[in-house]
Amino acid sequence: MKKPPHIPDRILAWLVAPHLREEVLGDLHERYHLQVQRLGEAKARQRYWRDARTYVRPSVMKRKPADYSTTFFLNPEMLHNYVKIAFRNLVKNTGFSVINIVGLALGMICCLFIFLWVQDEKSVDNFHAKGDNLYTVYQTISANGKVDGNYSTPLRVTPSQRTGFMLEDVKNAVPEVKHQAFYATGYELPWGHPETFQRGDTKFKLEGSRASSDFFKIFSYPLLAGNAETALSDINGVAISRKMAERFFGTPQKAMGKSLRYENRLDFRVSAVFENLPVESSLKFDFLLNWEAQKTKLEWSSNEFRLFVELAENANVPTVENKINRFLQPRLAKNKGVTTQIGLQRFRDQYLHSTFVNGKPEGGRIEYVRIFSGVALFILIIACINFMNLATARSVKRAKEVGVRKVLGSTRSHLIGQFFGEAVLLAFLAMLLTLILVVLLVPTFNQFTGKQIPLPFAQGSFWLSLLGLTVLTGLLAGSYPALFLSSLQPVRILKGVLRFTRGSVWFRQGLTVFQFGLAMILLVATLVVSRQTNYVQQAHLGYDRENLLYIRVEGSLANQRGYSLFKELASKMPGIAMVDRSSEAPHTMGFVVDDNDGAAETATGSDAINWEGKEKNASVGFKPTSVGFDFVRLMNLKLAEGRDFSRTNATDSSDAFMVNEEAVRQMGLKNPIGKWVSAWQKKGHIIGILKDYHTHSLHEPIKPLIVDVKEYEYFGVVLVRTEAGKTKEALASLRKVYGEINPNYPFDYQFIDQEYERLYRSEQVMAKLSNVFAVVAILISCLGLLGLVMFSTEQRTKEIGIRKVLGASVGQIVTLFSRDFLRLILIAILIASPIAWYAMNQWLQGFAYKVTVAWWIFALSGAGALAITLLTISFQSIKAALVNPVKSLRSE
Amino acid sequence: MRRSDLGEFEEVVLLTVAVMVPKAYSVIIAEELERETGQPVSTGAVHAALQRLEQKGYVTSVLGEATAERGGRRKRLFTVTALGGRVLTDVRSVRNRLWERIVPPTMLEWS
Repeated sequence: MKKPPHIPDRILAWLVAPHLREEVLGDLHERYHLQVQRLGEAKARQRYWRDARTYVRPSVMKRKPADYSTTFFLNPEMLHNYVKIAFRNLVKNTGFSVINIVGLALGMICCLFIFLWVQDEKSVDNFHAKGDNLYTVYQTISANGKVDGNYSTPLRVTPSQRTGFMLEDVKNAVPEVKHQAFYATGYELPWGHPETFQRGDTKFKLEGSRASSDFFKIFSYPLLAGNAETALSDINGVAISRKMAERFFGTPQKAMGKSLRYENRLDFRVSAVFENLPVESSLKFDFLLNWEAQKTKLEWSSNEFRLFVELAENANVPTVENKINRFLQPRLAKNKGVTTQIGLQRFRDQYLHSTFVNGKPEGGRIEYVRIFSGVALFILIIACINFMNLATARSVKRAKEVGVRKVLGSTRSHLIGQFFGEAVLLAFLAMLLTLILVVLLVPTFNQFTGKQIPLPFAQGSFWLSLLGLTVLTGLLAGSYPALFLSSLQPVRILKGVLRFTRGSVWFRQGLTVFQFGLAMILLVATLVVSRQTNYVQQAHLGYDRENLLYIRVEGSLANQRGYSLFKELASKMPGIAMVDRSSEAPHTMGFVVDDNDGAAETATGSDAINWEGKEKNASVGFKPTSVGFDFVRLMNLKLAEGRDFSRTNATDSSDAFMVNEEAVRQMGLKNPIGKWVSAWQKKGHIIGILKDYHTHSLHEPIKPLIVDVKEYEYFGVVLVRTEAGKTKEALASLRKVYGEINPNYPFDYQFIDQEYERLYRSEQVMAKLSNVFAVVAILISCLGLLGLVMFSTEQRTKEIGIRKVLGASVGQIVTLFSRDFLRLILIAILIASPIAWYAMNQWLQGFAYKVTVAWWIFALSGAGALAITLLTISFQSIKAALVNPVKSLRSE
Repeated sequence: MRRSDLGEFEEVVLLTVAVMVPKAYSVIIAEELERETGQPVSTGAVHAALQRLEQKGYVTSVLGEATAERGGRRKRLFTVTALGGRVLTDVRSVRNRLWERIVPPTMLEWS
C-alpha cells in the first residue's frame, strides 16, 4: 500500500487538536487511497496537500479544555512536598547520598581551585588605571628567512659607544603616543643579580630595575612620597619601595632626599617612595633607577630593553604601529636579509601571552590557563556523569513515586522541575561541603602553586559565580535523570515493569566509557609527567652538581687582588675542596652569541666568533664562557680529546680555547685540535674538546660552547666545590673569608643542585597537579561505577536467584557481572590511549631531552584502571551473588 | 427556528448523512457529494460542516471501527438526530411549497 506524503501529516499532527487528530488523519489517509485508485498516485498526492490544507482552521486547531484543572507547579504546598520527599530520599539512601554529594563536591573543589587560579592569572597586570591604553612594544626580526620576536627595541650605537635607542623620541614623532617609558631589570639573566644598597652599616641585596622618567605617569603604582613628575627625572635619583624605605629609614617620609650607596660605588638620592608592588604586577622591582643612569653608569642585566607606551584614547593600534615603523625604518642600519618590525601588544596581555610564535607574542602561560580550565570542566563533567549514573540507578525505586505522581495529576514538566530541583539541592549541599574543604585546603593550594591567592569572600562576583557553578552543576547532573524519570509511563511503572530502552542503556555505558577514558588519560599524564620530572632531576648533566655552590663576583672580588686572595684563603679552609670562577652560573648559561649579535654589538661588521675554515654564511650560536684554570676539574667535566687548561703552559691564558663536541659538529671541523679560533678580539687555538654537558635546562638541546681562560677579567660567579657531607663547615668558612675580603657586601650563595631544580618548578607543579587530578578523576569514576554495579545487581536480583537455583556458582555470577563492566573499561582504554599518547607527546615537545612514551605506560595505566574497576565491582557483585536465592526470588 | 441556522452546504451534508446512515462519515460523504455534484469536495470542508452540525445538535457521532487504509485509525460515524430530521423536513416543506407555486410557463422558459 502506498503511503501518503508524510510532511503534511507531520504538520497536521502538530496543528490539529489532540482529540481530533485520529479522525482527521484517518479521513485523509482513507481518501488518499481512494484517490490513488481513481486518479493515480501523482494526482492523489497533489490532492492530499490541498485536502490537508482545508483542515487548517480554528475549529480544528482549538484544543479541548482539560476536564480537570492542573496543579500549579510552584504552589507552596507542592514545594513543601518536593523538599520533604527530597530529604526523605537523601536520608533513606544515606550511602547513595554520600557518594553523590562527595562526588559532586570533589568535582566542585577542583573547579573552584582552578577558577581561583585562573582568576589570579588573569588579574595580573590588570590593575592599571590606564590599562586600556597601555601597550608594550615588541620587535619582530626576520633574518635569513628565520622570524624571531622579543620584547626589546632596536639599539642605536652612537660614535661615542654610548647605548641609545632608536625609539627614544618616538613620542614626538607619533602624536598618538602620549607617554613612553623604557624599562629594564637589573636582576634578570644572564648578567643581572640582586644589587647591594648600603647606608651606614645597614646593607641589603635587593632586586630592582631602571625606568625612564614617564614610568610613574603611565603605570598606577601609587607614590607614598614624591610625585610622578620628578620621581625618575634625576640621574642621581632612585625611587624605592615602602619595604626598602622602611628597612633603611623606618618610614617612607623619612627616606625622601636621603642618599643610599649603590654597589659600594655610586650614591643615589631617594627621589620617591612607592607602595610595595601588588602581587598582580608582573613587573617586579624594589627600586627604580633613572634610565640615564642606566645608559651611562650601570651595566645591563640582559639585552631585553623594554618600552611601554600609553596611546591616546581611541587610537587605532595598527595605524600607530605603521607610524612607528615608518619612523623607525630609515634609522635602522642596512643589514642584508634582516628586517625589524615593531609591534604593539596590550600591556595586560603580555603576562599570559609572552611566547613568540613567528615573531608575534601568542602562547605562553595562557596555555596552562586553557589546559587547567579544560581539566576543571572535565572533572566537573565526570562528577556530573557520576551523579546521572547514580540517579538513574536509583530510578527503579523512584519510578513508583513518578507513577503515583503522574496518576495524581502531575504533568511531565512538574516532574522535570522536581528532579532538577532535587539535583540543584544536592549541588547546594555539595557546594557547602566544597566551601568548607576549600577554606581548609587553601594554604596547601597556595603552597602548591607558589601563589598567595586569598579567598575572595568579600566579593559579590565570587558568590555569584559560586551560585552559577552550583546551579550549572545541578542542572547538568540532573538533566538526564529528570528527563528520563519524567518520561516513564505510569501504567507500566505501577504494573511493576520498568524496562530501559536500548538507547538509555547505551547512554549510561557511554558515560562510563567517557569517565574512564578521562581517568585513563589523566593516569597516563601523571605517569609521563612524573617520569619526565624524575628524568630531569636525575639526568646526568655531564658535570657533578652535588656539593657545588656559587657566589656572585662583586665588590673586592671583582679585581685580581681580592679574588686571588679569596681563592687562596678559601681553598685552605675546612670543608672546601676547590674554588674557581666562571663568567656565568654553569647550570643556566643564558648568553648566546650568533653572527647577527656580533655585528650589532661590536659595530665592526666582523663576526663575534670566527674559526679556521669557517664558511661564509655559517651561523653557529655559541655560548661563550670565560673561566679559571681549575674550572674543568672543579666541575668534573670529561674531555673527549686534547688537554685541559694548565697553569704550567704559559700560553694557555692568552691563546687556548676549549669547545664542546656540539661546537665541533656545528663548526664542521675535522681534526679540531690546534685549529685557530677567535672570539671578539682574542685569537687562539683549540687545545681540547669537552664532552657535551648541559649548560642550561633540558628544555633546549645542548648548544655549542666555547671556553677560554681569562685571568684578568673578574665578573660572573665564584664556584666552590665543598667536600661531601661538610656543607656546614664549608659555609661557615666561606662566610668568614668573604666577610674579611668583601665587607661591603652581604654574603649570599646558591647551591647549584637547588637552583637546577628551580628551573623545573612549573613542571613540578604540573606533576603534582596531574597527580591530584588523576586521583580525583579515578575516585569520582569509581563512585560512578559503584553506582552502576549497584543498579545492575538490583535489576538482576531475580536472574541471579534463578541462576543460583540452576546451579551457578558464586564465581560464575561474579564473572558474569565483571565481564560487562570490564568490557566498558577496555573500550575506554582503547579510546583513551591514542589521545593520551598524542597529548603527552605534545607536552614533551617542550623538552629537548625527554623520556619516551613507552607502551608499558599504557599497559600499566590500563592495568591500574582495570584493577581499580575490579575492586569496585567485586564488592557489590559478590554481595549480590551471595544472597540466598530463596530471598531474592520471593521478593516482589 | 431561524432559517439561517442551516447553510446550504450544511444542508447537503446533513442530507447525505441521512442517506448514508449508518455508515455516514466524512470520507464517504465527501465522495458522495463529489459524485453527485461533479465538483471536488474536500474532507476538510465536510469535517468542518459536520462539526458545526454536531454543535447545533442536528447530528450525533460515535467512533467506529479502524481500517488499514486509515492507518489503523478509527472513523467518526454520524447519525441524524430527531432535531436534525425535523429541520430537514422543515426545509424540505418550505421548498416544496415554493416549488408548487411556480407556474408551468415559467418552468417551460428554463428548459
